[in-house]
Amino acid sequence: MIEAGHFAAFLALILSFFQAGQGLMGQRRAAGLSAIVAFGAMTIAFATLVVAFATSDFSVQLVAANSHTLKPFVYKIAGTWGNHEGSMALWCLVGIGFGAVAAKVMSTGRPVFEARALGVQGLLNAGALLYLLLASSPFTRLDPAPLQGAGLNPLLQDPALAAHPPMLYLGYVGYSFVFALAAAGLIEGRIDRVWARTARLWALAAFMPLTLGIALGSYWAYYELGWGGWWFWDPVENASLMPWLIGAALLHSVIVTEKRGSFGVWTALLAVLAFCFSMLGAFLVRSGVLTSVHAFAVDPLRGSLLLAGLLVFGGAALLLFALRAGKLVAGPDWTTGSREGALMGNNLVLIVATATVLLGTLFPLIAEAAGETMSVGEPYFNLTFTPIMSLALIALPIVQAWSWGKADLSSLWKWAAAFAGIVAVFWLAGIGPFDIPLLAGIGLAIAVWLIAGAAIEIWRRAKTVQRLGKMPARVWGMTLAHAGLGFFVMGAVLETSGRAHTTIALQEGQATNVAGWQLTLDDVESIEGPNWYAERATLTARRGGTVTELQPHKRFYPAAQMPTTETAIHKTGLADLYVALGDGRRNTQGETRWTFEVFLNPFIDLIYLGTILIGLGAFLSMFGRKTRVKEADG
Amino acid sequence: MKAILASLIVLFAAEGPLADPQEEARAQDLMREIRCVACENEPISNSGSDIAADMRERVRAMVAEGQTDQEIRTWFAERYGDFVLFRPPSRGIGGFLLWGAPFIFLLAGGVLAFVISRNRRTSGRVEAVAPEDSN
Repeated sequence: MIEAGHFAAFLALILSFFQAGQGLMGQRRAAGLSAIVAFGAMTIAFATLVVAFATSDFSVQLVAANSHTLKPFVYKIAGTWGNHEGSMALWCLVGIGFGAVAAKVMSTGRPVFEARALGVQGLLNAGALLYLLLASSPFTRLDPAPLQGAGLNPLLQDPALAAHPPMLYLGYVGYSFVFALAAAGLIEGRIDRVWARTARLWALAAFMPLTLGIALGSYWAYYELGWGGWWFWDPVENASLMPWLIGAALLHSVIVTEKRGSFGVWTALLAVLAFCFSMLGAFLVRSGVLTSVHAFAVDPLRGSLLLAGLLVFGGAALLLFALRAGKLVAGPDWTTGSREGALMGNNLVLIVATATVLLGTLFPLIAEAAGETMSVGEPYFNLTFTPIMSLALIALPIVQAWSWGKADLSSLWKWAAAFAGIVAVFWLAGIGPFDIPLLAGIGLAIAVWLIAGAAIEIWRRAKTVQRLGKMPARVWGMTLAHAGLGFFVMGAVLETSGRAHTTIALQEGQATNVAGWQLTLDDVESIEGPNWYAERATLTARRGGTVTELQPHKRFYPAAQMPTTETAIHKTGLADLYVALGDGRRNTQGETRWTFEVFLNPFIDLIYLGTILIGLGAFLSMFGRKTRVKEADG
Repeated sequence: MKAILASLIVLFAAEGPLADPQEEARAQDLMREIRCVACENEPISNSGSDIAADMRERVRAMVAEGQTDQEIRTWFAERYGDFVLFRPPSRGIGGFLLWGAPFIFLLAGGVLAFVISRNRRTSGRVEAVAPEDSN
């Protein structure tokens, strides 16, 4: 069975090389056909892996090392990609899938360009498949087969983390096709409006799942790690944030290329960089060069191969870029105070923010090479990344109505006064009735500013098109995404500045007051799950007329010899009451007191609401008016 | 199974928060900035290890003694090395690069962007097109 999958993966490799050859020679039909057949082959290869995991076939080495018969069925399936080899197979499947879908739907009226894009995609897929088959093959048999598997990292036995890698990979690998489009456009020296229309669609198709994938990972970290926070500036988190930031810059730059034919050089560079940062992310996570709470599978040799792939593909693209950048033409003239100028400012901020995250993530490595050890964490990013990003957020509502070429700047002072007014309101509220620190007040002002700004822009556009139904979907998409950013900032500021954390210790039957709630520990009992056992505390939480039961537990997975925290969260609508069970400690009288980490996280759902709105906005932005740009315009 | 459950029950007295809520808040802010020396990239506020518990107690004790945040950071850095601080020190060339580079990038990029945008005006007249009018 698994041998058939192994064979199918080899077939996909050969077909990818064929697709690359035909594509680069400009054969659109042949390249498209091989992309689709390669997808069929890779689907079979991946399906045999899924079946091996689903049936707990321990004669497959990967299954023996990462699965267990007692695991719930859905996590047996998810276990396919919950390990290094399987996740690389998923990477290949997604990359080949993007090529196949592109082969079906791409219609730019430029068959040679499309063929070359498919050709470059074929090369990227072939590279990934070579790495899969030669350096991390999931298709190896084990003889004799063990009777039982070694189990999955228990942290991965979780619904959010089962869905997190596929979403993240749809984003990471989605950028491989954006990269292919950029390379194809550079080969023929045409990064113009027709190119940008296609590139924008694929950049959105990658951005949406990447956004949701990061949000899933963050939500998992929030409720599974038991630390009460949702973002830790951990290297692995940063590795996914960097492609997202570059992707956001690309989405804004490509609009200028699409609408005006300008910024072509810059857009092509960002399209190349988005995938380079995705590969860098994979390298940082998989190589183990960085210590992280999320580094699940690390291996230095595989890391260096990934780095080599990054250097070969990235280097080739940048070389191509250097050769062709001079040939690209610019669009109509524009002044500093224009939509072009504003989007350039957006890109400047997002690129500097990316560079900051990169610097903060890699600096400990550089210091280590120089013989020093150091750490860069949350306080660093709060003092660098956050104020720099704030500049773009403050400017956004002001500049979003600006015209191309030259904007009407006469009302600029009104906008400045309005922003100053909102900040003043929050500042006065902060020193007056509410206890809000100044920086949190500014953060909340920015959040309100963004949401109000989105509403104002949709109102302005509605007036110009007369009817809301006539508004293009991409305008709704843009507005939703920008409002989502506002909700995200609001949630992030309220949660970070308003989080209350207390450690309490209780005996069975005891009660205590914490964060406005009365918590009573009813009992602590031992329970058993399919492949774990746990100590489960039952607490009754009371506040006013609200009574709720919380059951945080601490699981122990004997197969993996690992404990996990299962927090209990009660959502009041305004805040999360969050309880994680700690250790039981016996005092000198022989009574056992249980410690609990209790958090009150205000408005944390706004963070996820905002992120979902950004993803939804990206989705809506893919649907535009069906007007084709004429070749003569480009 | 009993043995493992028993091993989870540790024979230590529970650590308690400081009586003054403002001091406790300051101590907790510091605990989020200090790295547990025995764990993978975790601040002592989150870690369940014994050394992290000792370090937390140390932070609380120093806050209660009235030491400033900077004094407490310095004490930990001298004892465990700069590695222990998630807020890396800004001294030396390395510190200057780390803390300064983002703002230098922003400034240099801003100047560059301004110069580029000035050079975009090759002819005399620039036509303004509203965003909703561009197709």
